[in-house]
Amino acid sequence: MKKSLMILGNLFIILAIMAFVLLYVGSEQQRMIASQTEAFENMTVAMESVTTNYLVGEQQVCGSWAHYINANDMTAGEAITFLRDAVGVQYVMAHILFIEDQSLNGLSTVAQTGAGDHYEVSYANINIFSDGFEEFLRPDSRVNVTRAYTNPINAIQSIAFCAPITLRAEEGGQPREAVVLRVVPVSILEQKWVFPTEQYSNAEISLIDAAGNYIIKGYAFKNSNLYDFYQSYNSPSAADLKSIKASVSGAPGSMEINNSTGERCLIAHTRVNSTDDWIIVTMIPMESISKTVMNWTLVGAVTAGLLLLLIFNLINMAGLNRQLKTAAAAADSANRAKTDFLSTMSHDIRTPMNAIIGLTAIAGKNVEDTATVRESLHKINLASSHLLTLINDILDISKVESGKLNLSPVTFSIVECAENLVNISQPMVREKNIDFNFRINHFEHEYLYADQLRINQIYINLLSNAIKYTEPGGKVCVDMRQEPGETEKTARLIYVVADTGIGMTPEFMTRMYKPFSRQTDSRVNSIQGTGLGLAITKQMIDLMHGTIDCQSEEGKGTTFTVTLEIPLADRLVDDMVLPPIRVLLADDDPVLLETARDTLRSIGAEADTVGSGAEAVRMVSGKADYRVVILDWKMPDMDGIEAARRIRQKVGGDVSILLISAYDWSDLEEAARQAGVNGFISKPLFRSTLYDKLSEMLGSESRHGDQENEDADLAGMRILVAEDNEINWEIVSMLLQMQGIETERAENGQLAVERIASAKPGTFNLVFMDIQMPVMNGIEATKAIRKLPDPQAAGIPIIAMTADAFSENVTECLAAGMNGHIAKPIDMKLVMKEIRRIKEEREK
Amino acid sequence: MKNRSAKKTALCAVILALALFLTACGGQETPAPPEEAAGFKPRLDTQTDCSLTVAGHYNNFEALEAEFNRFAAYYPHVKMNYTFLDNYNGIIVTALESAEAPDIFFTYPWMSYREGYASIYGGLAENLADPALGIDLSCIRESLLYKTAEGSVPTVPVYTTTYGMLVNEEIFEKEKIAIPTTYAELISACEALQKAGYASPILAYNRGNFMLFPLYYPYFCAQLQSNPTAIQALNDMGEGSAEYMRGALELAADFMGRGFIDLERCNAMENDYNAVILRFFEGDVPMMFATGNTVSGTEKRESQSEAFAAHPFRYSFHPVPSTEKGGYFINTISMGFAVNKNSKNLDMANEFMRFLVSTEELNRMAQAKRMVTPCVDMSLDGVYAAFGQVDAGHIINFSELGLADTPDSQVRRAGWQVCNGMLTVDEAVAAFGSLE
Repeated sequence: MKKSLMILGNLFIILAIMAFVLLYVGSEQQRMIASQTEAFENMTVAMESVTTNYLVGEQQVCGSWAHYINANDMTAGEAITFLRDAVGVQYVMAHILFIEDQSLNGLSTVAQTGAGDHYEVSYANINIFSDGFEEFLRPDSRVNVTRAYTNPINAIQSIAFCAPITLRAEEGGQPREAVVLRVVPVSILEQKWVFPTEQYSNAEISLIDAAGNYIIKGYAFKNSNLYDFYQSYNSPSAADLKSIKASVSGAPGSMEINNSTGERCLIAHTRVNSTDDWIIVTMIPMESISKTVMNWTLVGAVTAGLLLLLIFNLINMAGLNRQLKTAAAAADSANRAKTDFLSTMSHDIRTPMNAIIGLTAIAGKNVEDTATVRESLHKINLASSHLLTLINDILDISKVESGKLNLSPVTFSIVECAENLVNISQPMVREKNIDFNFRINHFEHEYLYADQLRINQIYINLLSNAIKYTEPGGKVCVDMRQEPGETEKTARLIYVVADTGIGMTPEFMTRMYKPFSRQTDSRVNSIQGTGLGLAITKQMIDLMHGTIDCQSEEGKGTTFTVTLEIPLADRLVDDMVLPPIRVLLADDDPVLLETARDTLRSIGAEADTVGSGAEAVRMVSGKADYRVVILDWKMPDMDGIEAARRIRQKVGGDVSILLISAYDWSDLEEAARQAGVNGFISKPLFRSTLYDKLSEMLGSESRHGDQENEDADLAGMRILVAEDNEINWEIVSMLLQMQGIETERAENGQLAVERIASAKPGTFNLVFMDIQMPVMNGIEATKAIRKLPDPQAAGIPIIAMTADAFSENVTECLAAGMNGHIAKPIDMKLVMKEIRRIKEEREK
Repeated sequence: MKNRSAKKTALCAVILALALFLTACGGQETPAPPEEAAGFKPRLDTQTDCSLTVAGHYNNFEALEAEFNRFAAYYPHVKMNYTFLDNYNGIIVTALESAEAPDIFFTYPWMSYREGYASIYGGLAENLADPALGIDLSCIRESLLYKTAEGSVPTVPVYTTTYGMLVNEEIFEKEKIAIPTTYAELISACEALQKAGYASPILAYNRGNFMLFPLYYPYFCAQLQSNPTAIQALNDMGEGSAEYMRGALELAADFMGRGFIDLERCNAMENDYNAVILRFFEGDVPMMFATGNTVSGTEKRESQSEAFAAHPFRYSFHPVPSTEKGGYFINTISMGFAVNKNSKNLDMANEFMRFLVSTEELNRMAQAKRMVTPCVDMSLDGVYAAFGQVDAGHIINFSELGLADTPDSQVRRAGWQVCNGMLTVDEAVAAFGSLE
């Protein structure tokens, strides 16, 4: 749904709610107003009762006066005297008006204000009796009362109740017809009109005659006539006015009008029963009877609340939309990445696969041509290796990106790690004829506690990149050193790989740690790579809380520096001690000399160092009795071979000579042997390397010889291979048979357990256990074997041989009781190494 | 982008409209604040709670009640009420001393000299010129202000009036006759109208000495305007002073003799207010002699007259052209206000007068009642437009004239009796001073 439509929808709902509230409240208000109107009308009727009672009462008093005067045949003087006494209350007065002379003059019980004893009164200028007294002397009327008028005696607005009297003539004349008036201030009647509740505190009351003229006028009533009042402020048509007049004169009821301030008011009216044509009219502002109904505060609060809710929702929605956009962008990016990934993978997997399939076909067609087959198999091997690397990288980056990459720390030797690094890189270095310099310094702590596999991966990735992107004849230097860590229990491992390769552009350096990033360069395109290595490396370094720094200049080379803070292992240095011998070491690299001297001393050798071949010759010619002389091959003044030849010339065969070479020495072996060299040793000069080589020179048995040439002793071993896959079984069995090792197959874990349990002691030396198998997997099978009652059967060495190659898989295997782990596809060197390790451990 | 912007604008507008709609729904109407232009600044506590009564002889006084409402905007708790007093002229002195004495009351010019009213300006009325009251009397025409010998101003004029003729403009248009501006034109117009079937082109209320009063009386005053000797003679009722009214009486006699007025129809009008207005609204009277007081009731009665409601027409009030140079605009005080010095709420009564005595408020009252304002700035109601065009030399301020009440009433009686054929001009002149 579009945002605008949603907002409009919300507004519509708010309007609908408000409309409902308004309609409902309006309906309630109408109902309440109707109720209040009825109550007000009833109150007006009650006012009429009050008025009628009052008027009737006053009329009766006036009538009683007349009755008394008539009964006692009084003269005017006697009557006024009687009335003066009878009035009783100060605010009321009585007037006697003579009818027969039409003069509208008479007598008052009270003298005119400011006129001394002037008791005469005149109604001549008051338009009440100008048409005679008949209207006020109707015998059938219960009340004969005038309109409110200005009392000519005291100028106070008053009403007068009338009753006829006959007065005796003063001196025997004819009786005089007259009217007695009981004159009462209007304020007295107004005092009777007390509205019953506070709700009507704003109510006003008036008394009008049939023509609408006010007899008594309330404050809020304007003009001199109700209908004039209505007309002045409501602008009615003639018909409306006529209708209003008829309504007011009729039955009790009410109507709405505007008052003089434009305020809407309710007017209720009812006829006064005690009079012929008087009407009580009450008026109250509509607000007074409707104000308690409509709670505008509530309506306003609801409105404000709804608007706030709308605004909140809009803001929230905008936020969610932003998040959705971000998520969508991320999803798009992920999709693109996935597409790119698949595209890249498709290409990168197809390329070696193409080689493998094509070369296999070529080999198949040329089975008889041994050279072609060998060449094809060699290339197939290379393609397979690349494919394996690619798959491993993909799996790694997949785990990194899913956040499932965990570290599995183990105690390991950093020296072995460096050795391994050199060993791995040697073939590539040799292949490209690169000046490779691997320098290690100050390895105070050999054994560390970290994820060795991942550290190896980091170092190998950087080193292999350096070698890959360095042109033949270039230089790659590795500087590996140890510094004190932040705490006593850690060491800072610094690994610097510098090359003189093609370098990187600044633009590429900003994205080089992103997966599948490869520099666009014609030189790069010819180099195999997944573009994942640096990404994996960076992620792993981050995971280890380390740092990686890169300095690169296009065309000049690149330097990566990795710094890792690694805990020290509890394990002590192995007991690699030689018998006391003197060793002379010659190299033009002073750093190497220093570190090698330290290493030699640590394994019990007394070492002297010299910086050139000539010095070495001189030293050997001296008094010192060197048992072994180690010569660097490449030295500026005299190379190692020449130095060896001269030493042999001087000291004969009493001394063993080792030649140091960073490269494959096969090319120079013949010349070196002829010059008297006894053996070769590779840089860097690790502790183990020196120990092994010197032990060999001294005739000791080295534990770490060339495995490949020494596997003959493994022949005759029997291995149970638990493997469900027919081809895998065939491969491993064939490869092992080639080494003279007998194998037996168990198709699943359950069969493996049963076979071990049923086998006679010594039937199997080892078990290779696949992990993912039907019926029972390798982990469960291992656990089951370890629980076998026969201690020999339960203790049989078990090596995992599985495609589950992650470190956590290794950990899981070891935790289940296995003795080692070999990842598929299998590397026969590793397999044989493991077999040998197991054999030797068993022999111990 | 434009489309999106337009949508946002529309949505904002809808939200704003919603808010305004709901605000409007929830709003309580409050009394309109007083206009700043009025410049009135309350001097008393605006929360003062009291009541004031204005007493007068008008049955209705909506214009004053409108002022009450405006005053209430400043003093919401002051209850103001207008009370009609029966026999106002006879009772006002008593009323001022009664227990329910009004706080403000009507005054008339004659109160300054008639017997029985001396106490009003002699002590019962507040001196409105007292600087302490802060009433700005400068907005009123100086000549209309009555000052006692002591220099106090016990009353301020609220309305002034004049005399003239109501003209049914549509009859004149229909008959293609110009509204007369000279005496000759008046005669011609009457003749033309008679020919057109209007037997009595002019009607006039024929009681209270009014017949043809708007014709000859302004003419009479005009003769005296620059003749103080004549004024003095008339005021002294000296021998021969009656001759000063001869010209006016001859004008009345001349006009009556032309037969343009049907006395019978005139006599049918029972009063000079309601009856005269309703008769004029019948629509068959081209011209109706009237006073400004009568004109003040016309607007309200437009709806009361069934004839006028059925066939409304345009009408206006004009000076009666008594000379060849046109008619006269005689301006005389109709009514004033005074403050009862014994008022229980004297300060508030004075405060109301301070509020009322301003060009804006007095003109507003005059407009509301279709009376002539006493202010220097005369903003005449539209119906009085013709009076605004009268030459300055034809404007007569009656107060400045200085004619006493007795000769004035004698002239009125003479004129009425001449108009009604009861006396000849000579007889009226001869009877001057004894006319009943």
